Amino acid sequence: MHFSRNVMLSGQILAAHKLRTLLSLIGIVVGVGAIILMASVGRGAEKRILERIGKLGTNLVIVNAAPARLMIGRQRTVATVTTLLAADAYAIAGECPHVIAAAPAVRKSFVVRWESNNTTTSVTGMAADGFRICNIPIASGRPFDADEDRTRRRVAVIGPTVVKNVFDRSDPVGQSLRIGRVPFEVIGVTRLRGLDANGLDQDDIVLVPLETAMRRLLNVPYIQTIFIQARGSRWMDQVEHEVRDLLRARQRLTEERPDTFTIQNQKTLLKTERETARSMTLLIGSVAGIALLVGGVGILAVMLISVGERTREIGLRRALGARPCDIRTQFLVEAALLAGAGGLLGVMAGIGATRMAAVFRFWETLISWPAAVIAFTFSLTVGVIFGIYPALRASRLEPIQALKSE
Amino acid sequence: MIEIENITKKYTKGAIVTEVLKGISFRVEHGEFVAIMGPSGSGKTTLMNILGGLDKPTGGAYRLDGVDMVRAGEDELSRIRNRKIGFVFQQFYLLDRADAMKNVMLPLIYADGNGGGAGRAEKVLAAVGLAARKHHSPAELSGGEQQRVAIARALVTDPVILLADEPTGNLDIRNGLEVLAIFQRLHREGRTLAMITHDRAVAEHARRLIVLKDGRVADDQPVHQPRDAETELRLMDQAASGAEPG
Repeated sequence: MHFSRNVMLSGQILAAHKLRTLLSLIGIVVGVGAIILMASVGRGAEKRILERIGKLGTNLVIVNAAPARLMIGRQRTVATVTTLLAADAYAIAGECPHVIAAAPAVRKSFVVRWESNNTTTSVTGMAADGFRICNIPIASGRPFDADEDRTRRRVAVIGPTVVKNVFDRSDPVGQSLRIGRVPFEVIGVTRLRGLDANGLDQDDIVLVPLETAMRRLLNVPYIQTIFIQARGSRWMDQVEHEVRDLLRARQRLTEERPDTFTIQNQKTLLKTERETARSMTLLIGSVAGIALLVGGVGILAVMLISVGERTREIGLRRALGARPCDIRTQFLVEAALLAGAGGLLGVMAGIGATRMAAVFRFWETLISWPAAVIAFTFSLTVGVIFGIYPALRASRLEPIQALKSE
Repeated sequence: MIEIENITKKYTKGAIVTEVLKGISFRVEHGEFVAIMGPSGSGKTTLMNILGGLDKPTGGAYRLDGVDMVRAGEDELSRIRNRKIGFVFQQFYLLDRADAMKNVMLPLIYADGNGGGAGRAEKVLAAVGLAARKHHSPAELSGGEQQRVAIARALVTDPVILLADEPTGNLDIRNGLEVLAIFQRLHREGRTLAMITHDRAVAEHARRLIVLKDGRVADDQPVHQPRDAETELRLMDQAASGAEPG
C-alpha cells in the first residue's frame, strides 16, 4: 500500500470525525503552542538582557565605597565611607594591566531648578571618561571633557526625564539649570536608556564634571564610585582581583580586615538574571512537555476508539488481502497525521499567542522558529509513539472475529 | 483447484473440545459451481473460512491452486486472499464512507501493481449492471445493489475462485435471484464458484451440491436439473404483470 494513499485515507477518516479529532488534539495544540510561546518569551527576555548588557557599557566593573550588603536582590551601600579617593581611580587606570580606563564618580540627590520648575534628581559628578566607560550616549549637545573637569566648569549633561520634568518641551541646551543653589549651563542631553537592572530610571540623571561636583556641590574630598572598563569580557574576574589587591594595598588594609569597598561585575549580575529567565523558560517548557504527553494520551484514546469502531473494517481489509503490517502502517499514519495536525495547529496557536503577547506588551517576545520546529517534531513523535499500541492491536485482530464483530 | 483431504477443526474452550469438522475431503475442479449446504452447526461456515484462508484447519491437507494453505504464513495467506480468492459475504461488508467505485477498488490497494485499477473497477461494475451507480455510496444503494457491488469487489482482482457465504441471506427473493443470475453467468464464462447456503432452492442453482451434516460430508452429487435464475426472474415478472388488474 502506497504511503501517499495511506495519508489520504487517514485524512478522510479523520475528517469524517471532525469534533472528536479536534477534541483529541487540544492537548497537543496546547503543548506545542505553550512551548513556542515560552521559547519566544525566553528569547525575548534574553534579547532584552543582552541589550541591557550592551547599554551598561562594555566590560564594566564598578567599585563602590562601603561594604555592601545584599538587600532583597539589590546591592546598596550602607554608611558613609570616606576612604575612596579619585586618586585610587587614576591608580587603577594606570597600574592594573587589564584595565583600559577608570572614572571616579560621586552622587547625591539635589533639587534642580529651571525658571519656576523644579524636581529632585540624582546628580552624578564623574570624570569625562565616564561617558565612554558607562556607554552613555548623547542625543543632543555634547558631553563635558577632561579640561572642563579639571577647571571645575559648571556644565551639566541631563537625562530625558529631567528634560521632561523641568524644561517642559523647550530645548534645554544652552539654558541655565540650578543644582541646589549653583547655576550650571546645560551642554548636552543623553539618549533615552530606560530602566537599569535594578529598575531605576537611567534617564532621571544630571551629569556634571567630578571636580565641579566635589568642590562646588558636595564639598567632599572623597568619592563613592569608580567605573572601570576592562580590557575584555574574559578578563572581568582578573580585573576584580587586580583592583581589589591595588585598593587594599593603597588603603593599607591588613589581611584580617574586610574590604571597605565592593566590586560589582555587572555581567555576573546579569548572568544571574539570565539564568533565572532561563530556568523559568525551562520550567514552563517542561509543563508544556507534560501537556504534550497528555496530548499523546488523547491520541491514544482516540486511536483505540477508532480501532474499536473499525474492527469490522479491519476484518474486511484483512479478508481482502491486507497484511498485518498494512493495517499497522495505516493506523500509525493516522496517529501521526492526527498528531501532525495538532502540531501544526499548535504552531499557529503558539505564534498567534506570541504575537498577541507582543501586541499587548505582556512580555517582550521574539518568535523562536527552532522551538516551533522542535515542538512540531516532538508532537509528531508523541503521536507515533502513542499510536503504536492501537496500531499493533489493530494488526493483531483475527480476520474472522473482526469481521463478525458488531 | 481446491483439494482438501481429511480436514478437521477443533475448538478448545477450557476443558471442552468441540470438533466442528470431522474429516472432510473433496476436490473442486476449475470451472465448477459448487454449493455447500447444511443446517446451522454443520460446520459449513468453518469450512468456508478455511477454504478462504481466513482460518486454519486443525488437521488435514488443503491445497488451493497448487499452494499449500496449511503451511502458508500470515503474509502469504493475505497475498493469496488478495490474488486468488474473491469473497462475497452475507452482510456485504461495504465501507459506508466510500462510493461504489472506491469499495470495488479496495482490494487493489493491497495488490502490488495497481495501475489501471479504475478501469478494471469500472469493467466489473458494468459486469454486475451497476455502471450507472458507481459514484453512489452504499447508503444510496438497495440491498441487492450493495451485494452486486460486493461481487464486483470480489471480481476486481480476477481471482481463481469466488467464495460466497450465504450471498442471498440478506436479500429478498428477487434480489437473491439477481445475484444468483450473476453467479450463473460467471460460471458460464468459466469462473470457479463455491457458495455456502442453508437453502436448498438457492443451492440448486449450482451444478454440484455438497451436503454437510455434523462435520462430515453427508452427500456429494451433481445437481441433476439446476434451476436457472434468469428464467425464474422472467416468470416472476410475468406473474407480477398478470396479477395486475387491467
